[in-house]
Amino acid sequence: MTTDEATKSEGEVQAAALTERGEDITPAQDRGVLKIIKRPGSEDESPMIGDKVYVHYKGKLANGKKFDSSRDRNEPFVFSLGKGQVIKAWDIGVATMKKGEICYLLCKPEYAYGSAGSAPKIPSNATLFFEASNAGELLLDFKGEDLFEDGGIIRRIKRKGEGYSNPNEGATVEIHLEGFCDGRRFDCKDVKFIVGEGEDHDIPIGIDKALEKMQRGEHCVVYLSPRYGFGEAGKPKYGIQANAELVYEVTLKSFEKAKESWEMDTKEKLEQAAVVKEKGTMYFKEGKYLQAVIQYGKIVSWLEMEYGLSEKESKASDSFLLAAFLNLAMCYLKLREYAKAVECCDKALGLDQDNEKGLYRRGEARLLMNEFELAKCDFQKVLEVNPQNKAAKSQISVCQKKTKEHNDRDRRIYANMFTKFAERDAKEAASKTGLEKAAEKVACEKGLKTPSAEDEEAEGHV
Amino acid sequence: MAVDELQAIIQRCQILEEADFKGEDFNLFQVAGQKCLEDGYAAQLLEVIQNEKNKVIIKNMGWNLISPLVRCIFLYKQEDDKRELCLRILDQLAQLCNPKELFLGLLEQIEQTSGEQVCQTVMLLLQPLQTVLLKLQNKKAYSVGLSLAMIMSQLAPLPVPYTKQQIQEDKLGLCQCCNAVVDFAKLFVNEVVKNMEKSSEYNDMELKEELIKFCMKSLKYPLLTAQLEQLEGIEEHPFRHFAAEIIAILWNIRELIPLVFLHHKGKSPQWENQEFADLERKDCADSLACLSYLVFVQHFGIECFPVVFSPSYLLLCNMTHIEVLLKRTEESMLSKGLDLSESCLLRMEDNSLLHHYLELRHFINVPQDLVKIMTICPMEHLRKKSLNILQLFIDKFDTEGKYTLFRCLLKTSNHAGVEGYIIKNIKDQIHLSLTKEHDNIWFTGHHLISLLDLVLSLPEGAETDLLQNSDRIMASLNLLRYLVIKDCESDNQQTGVWTTLAKIEQNFLKPLRVGLNMSKAHYEAEIKNKKENRKEAQSSNTVCSVTVSGEKIPAMTPGMQLQVLHSALFTFDLIESVLARVEELIEVKIKAVVDENS
Repeated sequence: MTTDEATKSEGEVQAAALTERGEDITPAQDRGVLKIIKRPGSEDESPMIGDKVYVHYKGKLANGKKFDSSRDRNEPFVFSLGKGQVIKAWDIGVATMKKGEICYLLCKPEYAYGSAGSAPKIPSNATLFFEASNAGELLLDFKGEDLFEDGGIIRRIKRKGEGYSNPNEGATVEIHLEGFCDGRRFDCKDVKFIVGEGEDHDIPIGIDKALEKMQRGEHCVVYLSPRYGFGEAGKPKYGIQANAELVYEVTLKSFEKAKESWEMDTKEKLEQAAVVKEKGTMYFKEGKYLQAVIQYGKIVSWLEMEYGLSEKESKASDSFLLAAFLNLAMCYLKLREYAKAVECCDKALGLDQDNEKGLYRRGEARLLMNEFELAKCDFQKVLEVNPQNKAAKSQISVCQKKTKEHNDRDRRIYANMFTKFAERDAKEAASKTGLEKAAEKVACEKGLKTPSAEDEEAEGHV
Repeated sequence: MAVDELQAIIQRCQILEEADFKGEDFNLFQVAGQKCLEDGYAAQLLEVIQNEKNKVIIKNMGWNLISPLVRCIFLYKQEDDKRELCLRILDQLAQLCNPKELFLGLLEQIEQTSGEQVCQTVMLLLQPLQTVLLKLQNKKAYSVGLSLAMIMSQLAPLPVPYTKQQIQEDKLGLCQCCNAVVDFAKLFVNEVVKNMEKSSEYNDMELKEELIKFCMKSLKYPLLTAQLEQLEGIEEHPFRHFAAEIIAILWNIRELIPLVFLHHKGKSPQWENQEFADLERKDCADSLACLSYLVFVQHFGIECFPVVFSPSYLLLCNMTHIEVLLKRTEESMLSKGLDLSESCLLRMEDNSLLHHYLELRHFINVPQDLVKIMTICPMEHLRKKSLNILQLFIDKFDTEGKYTLFRCLLKTSNHAGVEGYIIKNIKDQIHLSLTKEHDNIWFTGHHLISLLDLVLSLPEGAETDLLQNSDRIMASLNLLRYLVIKDCESDNQQTGVWTTLAKIEQNFLKPLRVGLNMSKAHYEAEIKNKKENRKEAQSSNTVCSVTVSGEKIPAMTPGMQLQVLHSALFTFDLIESVLARVEELIEVKIKAVVDENS
């Protein structure tokens, strides 16, 4: 009771102080967000837009009631700055903070949850009060923005762009870029190209991907891992070795978006499909699989959900889709993304259930995912469709060999666990429930002997 | 007799060493024990089991009795003393038997039950299972996971009670069983939590993953299918209770917020266990959608969520889930999807959703899904709700967003009613931009003209089926009438409708006139035909039959047919009268301009 009253009055005092002395930090200077620094930061560095920031905070309503505290969760709150992930007051307020700073923020509803409020805690038109401490000092640093959450492309924005729209795949962009490797500048040019086809101008795929997240006028630094850079092949033209890390400075001067799928009519989609298919095949032959995926992907996005086609159109559409899925599967196999490869094969087989390539590629992908039985089924189906397919024959024996190895390993692992049970099971041939399957996956000894016999046979043929 | 046999095998084994027990001993023990139970000698069996001298025998062989024991327990009535004895035997076995074998014995029992007995069996065996699991030394996490997975997969085929009556009745005991299972799991949750506090993080990753798996499965079944609204007259709604417990587990092992927020980025947590990674890819979309519903609509666990996220970000995070739910056809999932959309949209201010969100796949797909529900869902309340949500969606977008959304929906909906509705929305937006001070480039000038191209046209020219498209045509005519009247008032002609009049005449008004004449002539002829036919003969050979949701609709009588034809004519008249009014207005205006110039 008393503490409640104490915090309440404390809250009121702070709110009053903010109204009186707080600095207006809104760009519009409308006193929507007022700030008082309680303890200045330890360093002079502020986070950049897109940085991952760590903040500890406590939030109260005007009546002093606490509605949220990161301390209650025992961990700082993490978000990407300046991306609209948090209420406006926070994107504005945290951007002004320095590492280690502690400050108070008073936020008008227009900069918080407005008239809608935020059920169940924030009522309509509520002014919010925050005590925020930038936890940067606890956690080393603000981090650059990891664009695809895989550490492959990191961006730090030097100058924010205008508006909200980004170039999409297929958009035409005009950029200025400078490329660095180990501190050496290897490229510097103004260039106009189509997003997804930067490779035609010796620009690595990572830049295409980063451009899709940039806005007009934005100037940023992009750090690329080799996968998104020039990869294993390197780039002899620029004297870049295999698996090099790259740094680019990019300015997006202007761009014109490609049409969205729903804006194109069927005829246009079919015409374009032929164009991008060829383009995709060109990239594929050059071993540029990521670029090829983009081109084939366009066909899928245009045609997969297209309804109301005439018979002729639908035939053409199906044949494009089939080719696209089969080629995508091949690309994903090369990129070692097996689950995606299987998905594409499934779709291809949905269009043509006896497609030899589709079956074979799905088998390959499943084999690489250690799904030996399923892989074997696929290769067997290939043989049903085309008994002459030698590759499929030899793949079947690979499957069998792998199954055996795998089962042996499984058996060793589980054997210890349920030794007694397994032994008794062997003695009491009577017991026949399916439970063993769950318990020790290995009981299929019979299943093992036959394939190993076939195995020898198949090898004999080779 | 049965007791004697049991005594005989017991006596024989008492003198043997543990290692010398043979297969046949196990068999004889099981047969004799089973017979004791069947013949009603439970008290004697209990005595044998409790006898200190038989400790080793029971430890090794006791688990064989689980199966006959369970069978017996189900045979006795609730209040039967013998049942009570059997329960005590079960309890004793849990204490005395070798945990590894007993564990498998219990699981086997659960695996073998089916249908109406699933819940009873599970509830009966949870306690001994827990006792045994606590005694297991190795592979405990794996065993806990196996137990939970087995139980959930046994429950999964059971129908989930949906109506209030079904829930109260709980015929198969599912409601009760789910809550018993979650209590069972809580014990292991506490263990994980304790270890997390000790911050020896590595120890328990496995057990934690098993618990997450259990929660994810529970979210998919039964929670996704269950009715989770508060029900009047049921104080403790069993599924709400269950949901709250599942959320509490996730919160306690600190996975709740990561699951709700990290996921939409397409980044899956790094599981150590490959199996889970696979399972996750396939199944977790449903589970996560249900989780978001529980948090954002039912507010389970929301008290511990950060309250600084922007409403648009919350919507963004939830769009994947909304899409998953709206793609379904079951009432329970559709209504969850609609509720989740509503809750997210109501957090937003009108006009505050930026149009660039429409570039994200989900944002352009969800309105189209809503249209599908509005037009083809058999449940009326969902159709209505879906329409409300679509309007909410439209309201929240900024003007460019609305503009793009209208274009998209006009092109994709393929439904005259929906198109009419969108056109009415377009009219409202034009009205707003004409009456409000701040300039709005999207519903005036050249942007509007390009939108009007889509609106003021007939899909198949004069051959368009006017009856089928009447909603759309009426809305279009109303819009045109509004423009012609409204834009007369201002000299600067903001909408630009006059500049494009020739095109409108060519693409819309002219084919519409032709179409109207053709249709009217056709229907009038048809009516004449029908009337004559009626006089001739009543032998009505039905041309075709119509079936609606499995029921054959009786063939229309000639009288009904006539009525239909007349109502069609009435529609044409209506269209014609509005068309005439529009033409009149245009004429007056043009004349005025000509007069002015001359």
